[in-house]
Amino acid sequence: MSRLTYSSNTSNPRLKPLLGDWLVIIISIFAVIFMFQQFWSFEHASQLRIRQGNKIIGTYDLNQTRELHIKGPIGESIIIINQGKVRFKQSPCHNQYCVHQGWLSHAGEVAICLPNQVSLQLLGAKNTYDSLNY
Amino acid sequence: MRLFFIFTLSFLLTACVKPEPLYNTQSYIFGTLVDITIYGEPEPRAQEVSNQIIHDFQDLHNRLHAWRPSELKTLNDEFSRGNSPVTIAPDIAVMLSDATKLSIQSKGAFNPAIGGLIEAWGFHHDEFHSIKIDETKIKNLVHANPQMTDIVIKDGKVSSNNPAVQVDLGGYAKGYALDIALVSLRKQGIKNALVNIGGNIIALGKHGEKPWRVGIQHPRKPSAIATLDLESGWAIGTSGDYQRFFELNGKRYCHIIDPATGYPAQGVQAVTVLIPPQINAGTLSDVTSKPIFIAKPETRAEAAKTMGVEYYLVIESNNKVLVSPAMAKRLTWLDPLTAKNVTSNLQ
Amino acid sequence: MTRSTINISTTVEDHHIAKLTALAIGLHIIEAVIPSPLPGVKPGIANIVTLYVLYEYGFATAAWVSLLRVFASSLLLGHFLSPTFVLSLSGAICSLAALYLAQQLPKKYFSAITLSICAAFAHIAGQLLVVRLWLIPQTGVIYLIPIFALAALIFGLINGLITAKLIEQKS
Repeated sequence: MSRLTYSSNTSNPRLKPLLGDWLVIIISIFAVIFMFQQFWSFEHASQLRIRQGNKIIGTYDLNQTRELHIKGPIGESIIIINQGKVRFKQSPCHNQYCVHQGWLSHAGEVAICLPNQVSLQLLGAKNTYDSLNY
Repeated sequence: MRLFFIFTLSFLLTACVKPEPLYNTQSYIFGTLVDITIYGEPEPRAQEVSNQIIHDFQDLHNRLHAWRPSELKTLNDEFSRGNSPVTIAPDIAVMLSDATKLSIQSKGAFNPAIGGLIEAWGFHHDEFHSIKIDETKIKNLVHANPQMTDIVIKDGKVSSNNPAVQVDLGGYAKGYALDIALVSLRKQGIKNALVNIGGNIIALGKHGEKPWRVGIQHPRKPSAIATLDLESGWAIGTSGDYQRFFELNGKRYCHIIDPATGYPAQGVQAVTVLIPPQINAGTLSDVTSKPIFIAKPETRAEAAKTMGVEYYLVIESNNKVLVSPAMAKRLTWLDPLTAKNVTSNLQ
Repeated sequence: MTRSTINISTTVEDHHIAKLTALAIGLHIIEAVIPSPLPGVKPGIANIVTLYVLYEYGFATAAWVSLLRVFASSLLLGHFLSPTFVLSLSGAICSLAALYLAQQLPKKYFSAITLSICAAFAHIAGQLLVVRLWLIPQTGVIYLIPIFALAALIFGLINGLITAKLIEQKS
């Protein structure tokens, strides 16, 4: 059995990160910041897309107050849309992670009930227009 | 290490951003969808103001209903029956004389007095199906030549010199409602709002930092064909053959009737007009699209000029798109293919 | 009739490794039972054992301990072959791959901290891949990436520091 010799530890009694460690740490910090900037937009969402399993149940405008009942393999998940915010109100799952996600309102935000295979996805807008003339 | 945590936490806190103060409400009035958007007001206030406007709209709708019991219907019944002058509310009297003025201006192309014809074509219902075209009836109605000028308003009472006059303010009321909504909003101190009545839109202020942006519907698809910025006080209206129509033997009969022939106008899918800020911008956005819709291709530009319309867009039945030069500058085409095939009218 | 017994001779080292594996399984289970505020975000303290074994007994043993931990824990928790198990396994495999590469780095400049952080990022990458390709095939998964990355950074750092301290104390 080979053994990684860790001979340098006698010269490192106070256990400070080594030079290379600092490099890795700094790179990681930048990586994390970058990911937040890329994937977490804070723009206000305009629509909600609900999926059950692989199917898109519907795409709903957020400018309304409404309750939706979605049937999944383990029961019915209840979703509330309230003037720009959405959340899972009730779900038949054990952990209730989805309900604990609370209100979503930003584009890109997602809440998922994995056991019931129901997902909420907020779509952003870069709304092409505010109102339609017809 | 501690610094790192503080740094990360404070960064995450900046993630808590307030949503924009945009309030939107939808309701069904005037037989169509009414959409009111208010920007920059606390929600309870926006709600209160919107409700007030919706209430006013509902009121107007009930009073001007073309085929259900209403003040207007009472008027029409009296007209057809005989001659005794009927008392009407002052605001309706104003509407009638305003509509008459516009009718004259359009040389009769805009003619709200042809309610009889509209009914003959089956459009006095909430839903339409193809009808058996009664050619004789239509010919008679055209021959009877009901005109707004047949109406006499005196001492708060109205009468008609022509029993065939049946006033249908369908092409006027929505625009008029936009105007009163704007007055009401301004009076209540609202700075930024967008009111959409069945597609007719008037703007007040802006959408935050940028102007309100409006989409123009494609006549045959559920999506927008172009967008334009609607600045404060401007109004936009469209007359289309896709709003109220029926098809018979492969031919489309829409609700925009040419008073001269008694038959629905043919050859055009949609006409959109853009009206600059003025007292009756909303009314004009509703009214002025009709004469242009009805006009023959060669007289369209003139019809627009007669109605004082500088910004307009026409989509013909063959999908050809024509725009006035002034309008062309304001449109952003959503489909680059359409943009290439647009012709700018000579004005 | 003569009795037949099978004698397997074990070394002290084997005993140590067995104890460490048991420890890893124990830590994994404790973590699984304690609820976390965010789904999928856990300190991963069992990885300290994996990393420690890597330094004391080499990569092969560490891989063995890690995979044994994944299988045994899932059997004990009742998740065997469930999505949770697949996530655990994919995370373990990816972090082992990262460790294999990272251990080649010069010890003078890179300590257990680096290895731990690299393994942590690889771990979440493996898990997100499984989630995206199999469990939740939608682009909404992108929303989870920054959170998982932050957790990988923080816990990778902490676990790395703990492991380094343990190793230093042993010598």
